[in-house]
Amino acid sequence: MTPRYSAPRDLAGVTAALADGDGVVVGGGTMVVPDMTHGRTSAAVVVDLSRAGLAGVTAGEDGAVVGAMTTYTDLITSDVPLLSTVASGITGGPQIRNRGTAGGSACYANPASDVPACLVALGARMRLASAGGAREVPAAEFFLGGFRTARRPDEVLEAFVVPPLGGAALGYLKFKLAEGSWPIVTAATFAPTGGPLRIVVGGAAATPVAVDVDRPSVGSDDPAWREHVREAVHTALDAAEPWTDVLAPAAYRRRIAPVIAARSAGRALEEDR
Amino acid sequence: MTAMRLTVNGVQREIDVDPRTLLVHAIREQVGLTGTHVGCLTGDCGACTVVLDGRTAKSCSVLALSADGSAVDTVESLADGDDLHPVQQAFWDEFAFQCGFCLPGMLLTAKELLESTPDPDDAQVLAALNGNLCRCTGYNTIVSAVRKASGCATTCVKESPCRKS
Amino acid sequence: MAAPTLPDSAIGGSARKRDGAALLTGRARFVDDHQPDGALHAHVVRSTVAHGRILSIDTAAAEAVPGVVLVLTGKRAAESAGPVPYFIDPAARGGNRTDIRCLQVDEVVFVGQPVAAVVAATRQQAQEAAALVAVEYEVLPHVLDAEEALLPDAPRLYPDWPGNVVMHNRYGTGDTDAALAAADVVVSGELRIGRSTTSPIEPRGYLASWNAAEGKLTVHASCQNPHQMRWMLATSLGLDEGDIRIVTAKVGGSFGLKMQGHPEETLVALLSILTGSPVKWIEDRRETLMAGARQQVHRFTVGATADGRITALVNNIVADVGALTAQAGWAMPNMSATTLPSGYLVPDCRIELDIVVTNKPPVNAARGFGKDAAHFVMERAVDVVARELGLDPAEVRRRNFIPADRFPYRTSTGLNIDSGDFVGLLDKVCDTVDYAGIRRRQAELRPLGRYLGIGLGFELTPESSDSPGTFVSGFDTTTVRMSVTGMVTVLTGVTSPGGGNDTGIAQIVATEMGVPIEWVELVQGDTDRCPNGFGNFSGRSMVVGGGSATLAARDVRDKLALLGSRMLAVPVDRVEVADGVVRVVDDHERALAVPDVARALLTRAFAIADGIEPVLESTRAYKPGNIDHVPDQFGRIQPYPTYSSSLHAVVVDVDVETGKVVLLDYVMAHDCGTMINPALVEGQARGAVAMGLGSALSEQLVFGEDGALLSDRFKTYLLPRAGDVPELRMVHQVTPSPFTMHGNKGAGEAGVGGAQAAVANAVEDALAPFGVAVRGVPLTPPVVLGLIDEAAAR
Ligand SMILES: Cc1cc2nc3c(=O)[nH]c(=O)nc-3n(C[C@H](O)[C@H](O)[C@H](O)COP(=O)(O)OP(=O)(O)OC[C@H]3O[C@@H](n4cnc5c(N)ncnc54)[C@H](O)[C@@H]3O)c2cc1C
Ligand code: FES
Ligand code: FES
Repeated sequence: MTPRYSAPRDLAGVTAALADGDGVVVGGGTMVVPDMTHGRTSAAVVVDLSRAGLAGVTAGEDGAVVGAMTTYTDLITSDVPLLSTVASGITGGPQIRNRGTAGGSACYANPASDVPACLVALGARMRLASAGGAREVPAAEFFLGGFRTARRPDEVLEAFVVPPLGGAALGYLKFKLAEGSWPIVTAATFAPTGGPLRIVVGGAAATPVAVDVDRPSVGSDDPAWREHVREAVHTALDAAEPWTDVLAPAAYRRRIAPVIAARSAGRALEEDR
Repeated sequence: MTAMRLTVNGVQREIDVDPRTLLVHAIREQVGLTGTHVGCLTGDCGACTVVLDGRTAKSCSVLALSADGSAVDTVESLADGDDLHPVQQAFWDEFAFQCGFCLPGMLLTAKELLESTPDPDDAQVLAALNGNLCRCTGYNTIVSAVRKASGCATTCVKESPCRKS
Repeated sequence: MAAPTLPDSAIGGSARKRDGAALLTGRARFVDDHQPDGALHAHVVRSTVAHGRILSIDTAAAEAVPGVVLVLTGKRAAESAGPVPYFIDPAARGGNRTDIRCLQVDEVVFVGQPVAAVVAATRQQAQEAAALVAVEYEVLPHVLDAEEALLPDAPRLYPDWPGNVVMHNRYGTGDTDAALAAADVVVSGELRIGRSTTSPIEPRGYLASWNAAEGKLTVHASCQNPHQMRWMLATSLGLDEGDIRIVTAKVGGSFGLKMQGHPEETLVALLSILTGSPVKWIEDRRETLMAGARQQVHRFTVGATADGRITALVNNIVADVGALTAQAGWAMPNMSATTLPSGYLVPDCRIELDIVVTNKPPVNAARGFGKDAAHFVMERAVDVVARELGLDPAEVRRRNFIPADRFPYRTSTGLNIDSGDFVGLLDKVCDTVDYAGIRRRQAELRPLGRYLGIGLGFELTPESSDSPGTFVSGFDTTTVRMSVTGMVTVLTGVTSPGGGNDTGIAQIVATEMGVPIEWVELVQGDTDRCPNGFGNFSGRSMVVGGGSATLAARDVRDKLALLGSRMLAVPVDRVEVADGVVRVVDDHERALAVPDVARALLTRAFAIADGIEPVLESTRAYKPGNIDHVPDQFGRIQPYPTYSSSLHAVVVDVDVETGKVVLLDYVMAHDCGTMINPALVEGQARGAVAMGLGSALSEQLVFGEDGALLSDRFKTYLLPRAGDVPELRMVHQVTPSPFTMHGNKGAGEAGVGGAQAAVANAVEDALAPFGVAVRGVPLTPPVVLGLIDEAAAR
């Protein structure tokens, strides 16, 4: 069945088009358009955000407001913490970075992707809008499972807000099987000055898993500290829903998550110096 | 069917599309320019690359209607009559293709890279090519073609007795 | 190596690809670029079960979709089309066969097998309608693993077969039992080669146009072998070959996949006949990815003397070819067997081969054609022997290679290797990669927790094969025709899916005829224009296409020389044809332009060409030497004229915490005899190596327990990307073949097996401190980490 196509000029138009709850949102389109082509997604109405004016980063009082249609390429040249560097590591070439959005990635909620763990580590808040009004959901509560989020079908992600860092250092690392693979495990480290580290691991479980660890007393390659990280990550993963995809089983993800976590923390600590 | 406008390689076109029509199919079938190829329809191979409003995009992952009113440049726009673009020239000289199916993505991303980064290092070249698959060449000659097009004297492929200087 | 003054267009020069401008500017037309008015689009409905009986097919809903012209089921198709003939019929080799249909009639044996087809005005309508074709199956038990398929109570794919074995073969001569008993050391191993796929960037596709008024069928196809396809369609559709034209002008890569024998070839032609309209079908990537390229288990035992001389090889091969196909792919494992023991002096060999069917999509022909597996196994075996004896792997190779003065050399499995210098390759590789230096760095870095490894892989590539009674032909045919204006048209039976043999053949013709290469036009891949030929496979195109073009070009040149000598009034042995003129050898001033001589022959035949047949055209076939199909006393035949060889060295860095293998350096020393165009040879070699690296490290087709393909896009089936492939350094050695026209050997397949072997050996070398034993490819990070864990647990 041929869907209706709607490219609203503003947010109100978008939420109106989605009000029936049978719409598919097209952001950058890099995932959803192929999904439609191959019959994996269908809906009565296709709501194209490209004309709705949702692109761009603005500095708000409680942080950077990143419009949902801000592309990876836009982020690379922005000063949004962490995401500006993460964006340059998105694969698929400039063609994907020129169209794909961090917001779209968040809404897609593939556990094996870069953005989710970063948003959680940054303490971002997801701004959802519907015909009934707007709400904000902390990133940590946004991701509910593999390809599942707190977004209702009648809602659009309008933007997400990245709070000010307050001098915290950041580190990011992703592990993939080859240049073209989905990330297998990612780790974003948030290192507030002097305080313990918060490492958020992506890809190792169905949703990002946050782990708080003490700073190493010697260095990040200290075996005792790495053992500490390893245990903390394992304990956290034990409580999480495991994630397996075609590329790597849950056991492998769990096995390397502490390694990637420790390396990511190492990067943050290096930056902190 | 919905009517829409595209400016393709500088020429204004009006075409009719279905809401699900992909930009790549609109270009190939409605506009009739077949230099843009279809290799996967999942955004992975890059053979469908075009320049959409000044930035490269994979036209299999763009709905035609999303591009209503946009300017699209395809691989056909690169040469000026019989005069090849320096990137095309370098690809030919360096044997940077065999079957040529991957060329739209390779050429257009290489050109975009060199416009923003006239003298890229290897890492930048590899990052720019990351979205394009080539099954024929093994990539080495593509990397050297991009570097050659950038005017960089050093090439990546050492000790190749056949290479033209 | 080319002399510095050689023009690029001469034999041995690196002429640029002649279709370059068309490809670079987007003007070249691939099959999907042909869009005739009124063309309809086909979509194939595929089985959703791995094994089942088709109980019913309800097409009503599909037929009701606007734009739908035809919904065809297997039953109806079988009324109009017979079985698809085999490229290589297993029965011709004493094996089991089954009828291959364009659409299954009663039973399906893999997820993805065609069961119905929809033709509609647009692609979208066809796809939509196909989703509405309701097929009801009685699900039967299935088997996805070849070793399980060998068990007595395994589900049978083809009920009339005694089991699931297409054929069992035994190869080799000598007394391996005695040799193993006498050996100082005996080592064994098991190797699993994972299922990968060729996946050219252009998928397969066909556009069939039936002209009912004339009873003629034209098919544009992304295909390597137009003449075989014509014959196959004539057979399956009951048409006269003369009424079918196949055009395969531009093909976007193939690597064996597009050898014909696919059900969709007959299907699309039939759909055009039934609808009376042009019908196009272009494969979706998910369909392309179903085609397997290889999957085998090898169990080997080798015996060696204390000083590292290998005396015996026993290898049991179980090859999983998926469901049987009319395509040539199922026959590849035979070559894994016969290519052993590769380029080594191993007098006693026993190789047992079971080619087994499973409920997976068929294995299709793939670059390497089974020979790759022989190298993977042999090179692993050599390394295992080296390790067992505490010898350096390079040294063990040196001690076992067939010496350069022993050629032609007949191996235990019967191959007659024409020529080579394998030790020469080894020296070149070790020098270039700095073997000793890498060993030093390896020792330095280990204490720091970095694990470097170096691995070698030798590859012997039998090329240009001939298989009696099949469409695998060791000869080919070319017509060279000069027009009245002196322009040359070359029509050849070999095709080029991208590699560039068109350029190479033009170089040969220009050189042989003494005319500028710009005068030479090349026509390939059109059955109405080209002489009967066999297309592209087995590194044959420059050997037999180039050879036949040489013969034909010489005929035409000789006639020009003869007539020119008369016109110049000198004896024929005093003229030469060069630079586009016929001239007196020692007096270049006395010359006639070739076009003038051509015109004279064709317009003044009775005036000046007494006794010369006035036709500037020759059609010649070229049969290289060294092929011998008369079985010797051991029943061995010799199907290959030439044997290219190469030695690969790779340096890896293994992250022992994640299992990731990073390639630091790669050197390939390559010997394919005379190189007609070195740049094109290197292109082929690099492409093959990259493909081998992919199958060694990241590429793997993954199936669910229900037999459905899970790795169905390029994010889950990981082809190498630019950043995955290091600089592939090439070193050439030229040992001309005594059995081919120019001394050239096949180039194009060498690289897959060598790369796999070198990587596997390098990974094991890197992880030697952990006692890791590599057991197969691909060596993905999870696999490598698993090996480390396993070794630690021992
Ligand atoms: C070749 C390739 C390489 C890639 N490499 C990477 C990589 O390295 N790392 C990585 O993490 N990802 C990668 N991706 C995936 C990438 O993250 C996503 O493609 C992209 O970020 C999704 O953004 P989009 O705007 O294109 O989303 P779309 O495809 O437009 O949408 C994705 C999903 O989100 C929904 N959606 C989108 N925007 C909104 C919104 N504002 N409100 C509500 N719903 C919305 C859509 O309905 C859909 O369900 C890759 C993809 C490709 C094709
Ligand atoms: S066809 Fe668009 S990326 Fe492959
Ligand atoms: S040249 Fe064939 S895919 Fe790149």
